[in-house]
Amino acid sequence: MRRALGALAHYWPIAAVFVGWDLWVVLNGYTTVVAPRPGLVLADIAAEPGAYAGDLLRTLLTSLVGLVLGMGVGILAAIAVWSSAAVSGVVTPAALVLRSVPVTAMIPVIARVAGYGDSSILLIIVVVSFFPAFVLTVSGLAATPAAGRDLFGVLGAGRLRTLVRLQLPHAVPHVMVAFRLTAPSAVLAALLAEYLVGTGGLGHLFSTARSYMELERAWGTALLATVVSVLVFVLARGAERRVGARFS
Amino acid sequence: MAQTTPSPAPTLTVAPPAAVALSGVGKTFELSRGRAVSALEDLDLHVAEGEFVAIVGPSGCGKSTVLRMVAGLERPSTGTVVVEGRSPRELARSHRLGVAFQEHALLPWSSIRGNVALPFHLAGRPVDAARVDELVRLVGLEGFESARPRQLSGGMRQRAAIARALVLRPDVLLLDEPFGALDAVTRRRMNRELARIWSEERITTVLVTHDVEEALFLADRVVVMTGRPGRVRHVHRVDFPRPREAAITRSPEFHEAVDLLTGLLDAEGTA
Amino acid sequence: MSAAARRAALATTGVLVLLAGAEAVGRAGIAGPSWPPLSEVAAHLLDADRRATVVRAASATLASAAEGLLAGVLVAAAAAFTGLLLPPLRPGLDRLAALLHAVPVIALAPLLITTVGREATPTVVAGLGAGFVMFVAFSSGLSLGGRRSTHDDVFDALGANRVRRLLRLQLPASVPTVLDGLTLAAPAAVLGATIGEWFGAPRGLGVLIVSAMQNFQVTLLWSAAACATALSLAAYGLTTALQRAAVRRMA
Ligand SMILES: Nc1ncnc2c1ncn2[C@@H]1O[C@H](COP(=O)(O)OP(=O)(O)OP(=O)(O)O)[C@@H](O)[C@H]1O
Ligand SMILES: [Mg+2]
Repeated sequence: MRRALGALAHYWPIAAVFVGWDLWVVLNGYTTVVAPRPGLVLADIAAEPGAYAGDLLRTLLTSLVGLVLGMGVGILAAIAVWSSAAVSGVVTPAALVLRSVPVTAMIPVIARVAGYGDSSILLIIVVVSFFPAFVLTVSGLAATPAAGRDLFGVLGAGRLRTLVRLQLPHAVPHVMVAFRLTAPSAVLAALLAEYLVGTGGLGHLFSTARSYMELERAWGTALLATVVSVLVFVLARGAERRVGARFS
Repeated sequence: MAQTTPSPAPTLTVAPPAAVALSGVGKTFELSRGRAVSALEDLDLHVAEGEFVAIVGPSGCGKSTVLRMVAGLERPSTGTVVVEGRSPRELARSHRLGVAFQEHALLPWSSIRGNVALPFHLAGRPVDAARVDELVRLVGLEGFESARPRQLSGGMRQRAAIARALVLRPDVLLLDEPFGALDAVTRRRMNRELARIWSEERITTVLVTHDVEEALFLADRVVVMTGRPGRVRHVHRVDFPRPREAAITRSPEFHEAVDLLTGLLDAEGTA
Repeated sequence: MSAAARRAALATTGVLVLLAGAEAVGRAGIAGPSWPPLSEVAAHLLDADRRATVVRAASATLASAAEGLLAGVLVAAAAAFTGLLLPPLRPGLDRLAALLHAVPVIALAPLLITTVGREATPTVVAGLGAGFVMFVAFSSGLSLGGRRSTHDDVFDALGANRVRRLLRLQLPASVPTVLDGLTLAAPAAVLGATIGEWFGAPRGLGVLIVSAMQNFQVTLLWSAAACATALSLAAYGLTTALQRAAVRRMA
């Protein structure tokens, strides 16, 4: 009983989502064609998990691969740019402008230019993940405390050693912040891109379910997309906290 | 025992060649909107090979600036700074400087052992584990080798910073209020430790401190600076024999010297 | 040259290089027919007739985003204060924040189309996007997660009651975090509005972008995308200026 109450104190939001959803449908008197009740949606997932599994895996994999690639390239670009104050002064504001392009504008443009297809979807996620990692790594490299830089100067450390032993470790918490911020956006970008131009993945499953008026399937897909996104976020936040504590 | 040299020609009391030589040094800092502050003016200071010099002076008189110039972190606006016959930057590049500043600047992601071994890595030399352990022991941090800086007290961190400064047996050691964060009792103990370590290694040392007793206990000469812009106001030679024991701090000569220097500082503070 | 002027000069150079690069790629046709020279995009926006379409769409998006932002901020504030008044709910607030932070708004938009209708969906999605961010900002600003500061200890020692603590400690202390959240929530509202539009709203930049993509109207696509970016940048710029001013005022 005690245990159950403790769990409720921590996990009531999840229960609240389902109760609220059910009440919303019932009180508004929506029919199943407008909005299905949560029981029906869960039943659809339970009855045919295979109908979701492939697309779910695909979305998850695409998001993760794109995220890792985009952040990796972003970090490398930041290191390359950091070596010159002038270059980073030129590049960083332009990166900030590009970072402000909403994904809803970026996806159609990239899809138009690079073609409708899976490689475009990956490209979109890479671009979305690139900018936060780039911007935050640059600021992390620049934010090394003066005392540390003085110490390395007095000890005669060269540029490369200062980078590897002082500035990069110092930038790690910043990179992890970028990871936490980007992880849900990468999933969102994957879903939106799949919805618009994909041939698979939860976003695509969603758009076909909707066009065939399979409402339980559509809502089930939305539910799973939310679960995937929240899980990715929670994992990223955990990693950020753990790694951040290690490096500060 | 303690005697005082008059101020105008302090450099003549030390025989050359000096390990650290500041001649006619001035330093002006540019502030915003074209204003500037003159931190140092026409300062002469020569430190002999193997000598321990302490600098005391009112807050903001430029003590840290002097140290940063010897470390090659600031360039003098006028005059010259020569260390071991070279420019400070050259000495830094050949990894011959040791520093412990008030801000300890330990790497938070590295263990105490890793932090003390850092100068080996930065010099591109293999880590001498025995030397690292010896210094950890010397500063009394045995048992904390794998702890991280955040897990230690403020005083322990400063001791780790001192171990790091000494680990490569530098030609010149620069200490800027290394015990600033400590309570009086720990500070006295650290002073005795530093005196013991120093008499073993005899490294040319410049120490900046607010604490006159600390300066007299540790140094061969104590330099009193004027308020801003800083110059050398007075140089006091300390002749207590080494190795020094805590007992000397209770001698009448010691008290006399403390009174003299404190009086000079008070005069500066109110001037 | 002062440091600030130097920085501004470098930044301007960077943006100009970016624009020139995009222009060059378009002229050379390296990226194919779907990457026009930027000058053609600019010409599209300068032509009064063609501009009118984009401007009409942009003002619809702006209206949805602004209404959504306002509603999102108000609802988020109300929810966070409810959390403040109901301590038993607090342990779960952290999870609620994680949930709201990560919910992909795409999962909600199409469901809303069938319930709240095509007209209202962009505003509602904008409100949800901004509201999620603001709820996280309010609850961490009011430190509902249970972290205590030394200020809390001082207020305890002074025997402050809950209302005094709220007025004199928690509210002022939350201002920077809440304004930080606003700099994220404002672009999130623009994004939310365009996502809502993607799924079948009658007008707005999101609709225009998708239809231009499907109909190969390349300069229209780029013009509308540029407009959406400008809206998002402006939202970020304005809220950042507000946040900086407030921080300067409080420091
Ligand atoms: N980077 C700098 N820019 C501008 N002014 C500076 C800078 N560094 C030092 N100053 C000025 O130079 C003067 C001397 O500073 P310094 O830090 O050397 O004093 P100090 O004697 O070490 O003082 P304290 O005992 O308080 O540590 C001060 O007036 C300070 O304001
Ligand atoms: Mg100082």
